[in-house]
Amino acid sequence: MTSIGTGYDLSASTYSPDGRIFQVEYANKAVENSGTAIGLRVKDGIVLAVEKLVHSKLLIPEANRRIQTVEKHIGIATAGLLADGRQLANRAKDESASYRDNFRAQVPIKYLADRLGSYMQVYTLYSSVRPFGISTVVGGVDDDGPSLYVIEPSGVFYGYHGAAVGKGRQLAKTELEKLNLAELSIREAVMEAARIIHLVHDDSKEKDFELEMSWIGDETKGLHLPVPKDLFAEADAKARAALEDFE
Amino acid sequence: MDHIDMQQLKSGEVNLGTSIMAVQFEGGVVIGADSRTTTGSYIVIFFQISVDSGASEHRLQANRVTDKLTYLHDRIYCCRSGSAADTQAIADMGHYYLQMQAQTLGTAPTILTAAALMEKMCYTNKDQLSAGIIVAGWDKSFGPSVYNIPLGGGLFRQPWAIGGSGSTYVYGYCDATYQEGWGRDQTVEFVKNTLALAMSRDGSSGGCIRMCVITEDNVERLFVPGDQLPRFWEGREVLGEAKKPQINRDVVPMAVEA
Amino acid sequence: MAAASVYSSPGFDFSNQIRNNFLTDKGLPLPKATSTGTTIVGCLFDDGIILGADTRATEGPIVADKNCEKIHYITESIRCCGAGTAADTEFVTNLISSNMEMHALTHGRKPRVVTAMTMLKQYLFRYQGHVGAALVLGGVDSTGPNLFTIHPHGSTDKLPYVTMGSGSLAAMAVFESGWKANMSREDALQLVKDAIAAGIFNDLGSGSNIDACIITANHTEMLRNVEMPNERAKKEKSYGFRRGTTDWKSEVIRKLVLSEEVTPIGGGDAMDTS
Repeated sequence: MTSIGTGYDLSASTYSPDGRIFQVEYANKAVENSGTAIGLRVKDGIVLAVEKLVHSKLLIPEANRRIQTVEKHIGIATAGLLADGRQLANRAKDESASYRDNFRAQVPIKYLADRLGSYMQVYTLYSSVRPFGISTVVGGVDDDGPSLYVIEPSGVFYGYHGAAVGKGRQLAKTELEKLNLAELSIREAVMEAARIIHLVHDDSKEKDFELEMSWIGDETKGLHLPVPKDLFAEADAKARAALEDFE
Repeated sequence: MDHIDMQQLKSGEVNLGTSIMAVQFEGGVVIGADSRTTTGSYIVIFFQISVDSGASEHRLQANRVTDKLTYLHDRIYCCRSGSAADTQAIADMGHYYLQMQAQTLGTAPTILTAAALMEKMCYTNKDQLSAGIIVAGWDKSFGPSVYNIPLGGGLFRQPWAIGGSGSTYVYGYCDATYQEGWGRDQTVEFVKNTLALAMSRDGSSGGCIRMCVITEDNVERLFVPGDQLPRFWEGREVLGEAKKPQINRDVVPMAVEA
Repeated sequence: MAAASVYSSPGFDFSNQIRNNFLTDKGLPLPKATSTGTTIVGCLFDDGIILGADTRATEGPIVADKNCEKIHYITESIRCCGAGTAADTEFVTNLISSNMEMHALTHGRKPRVVTAMTMLKQYLFRYQGHVGAALVLGGVDSTGPNLFTIHPHGSTDKLPYVTMGSGSLAAMAVFESGWKANMSREDALQLVKDAIAAGIFNDLGSGSNIDACIITANHTEMLRNVEMPNERAKKEKSYGFRRGTTDWKSEVIRKLVLSEEVTPIGGGDAMDTS
């Protein structure tokens, strides 16, 4: 046992004596190393934003997106292992498609979050698999209005007014708490989202990053779409300016 | 095989040779059906000493007060036509799926969802089923709706729908009579009259009329007994008296012993 | 001597089907299963259910059993009359009876009549009419008295009075003219007996005696042969022949059982257990 520590962290099917599952906690560590992803639920929609770290100048700008559309009205942003995020997004797409096929209706956001949570939880039960190394922000607008959920590697999911996962989540949460999310318009939310992502990005440690933003609201007719170029540019510029004032 | 034959039931199968109907109005839907159930070609075999066995075909009534308006969910009902066994099995499955869905989502399912589920069952098993179903009801998202699922599957939203063997006789009546913007009572009268006309022309339909009025607030059941059906022109001697045959008094009838 | 070939071609063997088709073409029909050309009925009365049945089983034109039982046990307070293919009614009621007992044991309470009805209809639907059981199911449970008919394809009806089998028309005629809501036990039993009698005397597929079963909330009474309207009259004279009526000239007695001798070869017949 000397070379492998206590041995309680070797598999997701083993508890530590104080009732923890180390593999799940390690999965959370994987999330903490990733660029920040945030979601804002305001009165008339949802805004998702991601700080996508660019590790090579050779990468094509705006490619390799970390926000994905899984249904017309649902977007998800992930923080953590990129491959796991893709896998979960594919699963979400399958779930939404089969729901539409069976019931001829758009999948409710809460139901989708529940299904994805159950799916991830299964990966915390067996020694032969590894828990998902991602936290996922699920946002969408359905019959019940806008809703925002975060699914963690353990499989639990919570509903939020504002959510932040990844490296800069602490600072992002502090910033989100200052906002009156219930009264914010979706355009204002876009500005705030851009500002927060720029704010939490640590220039001294990370070289470069790309801001990625999407929204769902009345202006998009309930569809999950990237924030339009002009609005994006405005928000990006404002965020940069605010940051310079701050410094 | 260019069309599917409704009468092509398995021998001895119980048949809902039927008249069914659903009409939407402002605030709800009215659904209705006759109450006759028959068994397809029931064969009774007679044996007599020194005489060949003779077989005769009967179509006999299995139930004269059948309820073809079947509960799927709190505000969703279906009208069944075709094989009784097939449509009961489909309705039971539909009822089960909708209960499961309502339980997991915590909200009442829509008529579209219910109809889509029923259609899926009808289409995927079309080779083994004879079922023509109308799904109707009220839901929060779309209000009153009527969906028609004809024999081989397919899903059609209509302001009014008729089905079953008796429906063919009354398409013209419905086309000529139906108007948008009716209230509850007018719609009930329309359904009652249409079904009475269909039942009077179709030998496989008859008995009494059952109706349901489904609104946001409740489901109200209506019943018209067989002797109180709306009546229309039923025929009388309009072509003049037949001429009395001339009796030839010269011919004496054969004497018959008492 | 060459050993007999142990080789047989793989897959299914359809030679019997070819033979059967050949025989059918030659005019020899396939054998038919025993069917209960039957009259069975059920009837609601003020505090329970009465089921009734005749007791004739037929095999084509032949009466196979003159006094069979067509009221089958499901649970103590649920019974089921069967018409159609005798083997199928017997088997399907037995199976559901067993499943109902298991159901009662797992849930710790008396199962309901609709439970039996659902089990039966789902079983029959699965077999698409190939299980030829036409049933009248009746009983009393926590919801009160329940009466159903179940057709071979799996459709069901819930009615206050029902008939089934080849004698159903005759029996239904009696019910339609005589049934009233909230009848007394005596009146209902008489009506059921009249309905079965109508089947026995007017339908050639039905005959012999009347069975009835009265089910109430806390008692079930099985009235086997409650009426026997077709008892064979005692013969007025014996037609047996006196001993020695036929004379004979010679007598030969032959031994029909041949004795045989067994000679064990090799190590005897002790089993090798090494």
